[in-house]
Amino acid sequence: MRKRLLFFILLGWVLLIVGDRVDELRVYQGAQISMYAIALSSIVLLTGYSGQVSLGNGAMMAVGGYAAALTLNNLQTPIWFAFLMSILASAIFGALLGASAARLSGPYLAGTTLALAVGLPALANQFGFLGGEQGILFDVGFPPERFGEEFSQYKWFFWIATFIALISLFITSNILHSRFGRTWRAIRGNSLAAELAGVHSARMKVLAFTISSAIAGLAGAVLAMTISLVSPGAYTLSLSFALVTGAVLAGISSLPGVMLGAVILVAIPEFADVVAHRLGDSEKVITHLPGLIVSVLLILSVIFTPNGPGENLRKHRKKKSAH
Amino acid sequence: MQKVIETVLIGLSTGSIYALMSLAIVLVWRSTRVVNFAQAGQAMLSTYIGYEIATRSEVFWLGLVFAIAAGALIGAGVDYFFMRVLFKHATTGPAAVVAPVIATLGLLGLIRSAVGLIWGGDLRSIPAPVSRDGYTIGDTTLPFSPLNTLIIVSVCLVLIAISILFTRTNLGLALRASAYAPEIAQLAGIKTAQTRTIGWAIAGGVGGIAGMLITSYNFLSPNSLDLLLVFGFIAAVIGGLESMVGSVVGALILGVGLTFILNYVGTSLTFISGFLVLIVVLLVKPEGILGSRKGRRA
Repeated sequence: MRKRLLFFILLGWVLLIVGDRVDELRVYQGAQISMYAIALSSIVLLTGYSGQVSLGNGAMMAVGGYAAALTLNNLQTPIWFAFLMSILASAIFGALLGASAARLSGPYLAGTTLALAVGLPALANQFGFLGGEQGILFDVGFPPERFGEEFSQYKWFFWIATFIALISLFITSNILHSRFGRTWRAIRGNSLAAELAGVHSARMKVLAFTISSAIAGLAGAVLAMTISLVSPGAYTLSLSFALVTGAVLAGISSLPGVMLGAVILVAIPEFADVVAHRLGDSEKVITHLPGLIVSVLLILSVIFTPNGPGENLRKHRKKKSAH
Repeated sequence: MQKVIETVLIGLSTGSIYALMSLAIVLVWRSTRVVNFAQAGQAMLSTYIGYEIATRSEVFWLGLVFAIAAGALIGAGVDYFFMRVLFKHATTGPAAVVAPVIATLGLLGLIRSAVGLIWGGDLRSIPAPVSRDGYTIGDTTLPFSPLNTLIIVSVCLVLIAISILFTRTNLGLALRASAYAPEIAQLAGIKTAQTRTIGWAIAGGVGGIAGMLITSYNFLSPNSLDLLLVFGFIAAVIGGLESMVGSVVGALILGVGLTFILNYVGTSLTFISGFLVLIVVLLVKPEGILGSRKGRRA
């Protein structure tokens, strides 16, 4: 635990230095990476540990984003309180949904959350106070003056996002290494055996779903911060797809892997842009190429390294040492 | 009173399209134990193929035939080149349970973006084979049109064909046997892997019909069938996810129910109501109205 804390502090310090040395665009992408890392950790906890598939983490992010924006705009609260509200709102929402769906086996939860992901952005259009298609503004304000004139808005985003990501990943990693993490793995491995050992498997699954939703909601608020806006267009089905892809790519049950997954998710649109320019810049290609790359990566990784690249490396090493 | 009858009729027409989608989901679920989320994508791709044929030849029916054939081919292809490989590889570790579901999701994403790359995101429409204007009785025009009649009739024909296939033919017996007890079916000499691929092909063809029919009164775009998938899934859950009859009944109930809400409450609540129905069914009667009790809860 103390080692882990030390590691996170060290990581934060390194990121702080790196953030000072690179240009604006990279700093902004750094904020996005932190956001994805939070979001992916919610999937690692849910799918990798408790063995439930949710296709609706994008929708949970939307809940968090809207909660944060509504709190900030209507109550004029400090920023940290808005982020806190995003966690709270999505946790409550997750608990309600989880109590009904998470008790059920795989396909039911997957289908229910998919329905949510398809429907929730559309719902936002139908209620006036959610701002319709345009969404609502979410402005965390300028960086404090004591950081000096040079301190840019993007760097401020990066600092907030990374700070939140470090804290959230630290807490998540502690949860995963605690009794709860072990219990979830036991349920995933063999729920009957786990129940015989005295685990209340349904309750633990709902708990996993609730915590996962809370983390996703926080990620949603961070996403809203980086684009200064909460709108249905930011939390599409494609976002949920991308999250699942990032988690599978990095190894669905590996928390350190989320950083790799997050980097890949930010790199894909960049890469797709380059390719699209080569192919002659048509609008079709620019809109749909990132999705194509994401899906191809997802399919390839789920077929060939369903448990993440780490597993294949381990197998390889075992083979070598056997010789 | 007249409005009630109209609502029921329109609801049956909508519900019968849901029935096709939920039937496709149930067919695959029974044989493979996977809810195939790519079904929406497969149906959408077949509909685009049907759309190309229908607009070029200006014959809707030719487009429909091609959409069915394309759907069947795509379905069989997905099982043969994709699910078989997947089941060979992803057998151990934390991802074994979730891999098939995630894979169908990846496939849905792949088809969506591939279609987007080829056809772009614009809305397209297929000219309906019969009039979309409502029947007129005396001075009043009903919202129920010849197109609705056509949809109900053709869905009935498809359902009859499928029930004959499943109850009266050797192939149907093989399909049922390998869904019910794959190992025993194999011992009895049924090639279960091939049978499963045929099941996927039938589901794909049925999905193609659903896509063409819904596009005859709605627009077609890379994600236009997402809602159909969701409602098809809800209908399948109402029916118990296991029973083909249940899925059809569930779809008709859902279609009529949602049309009542649409006509009497307003559009804004249709999706929420569908979602609530799903949650309530999962809470109150998770085995579905016609499903068996075992294997539902985790």
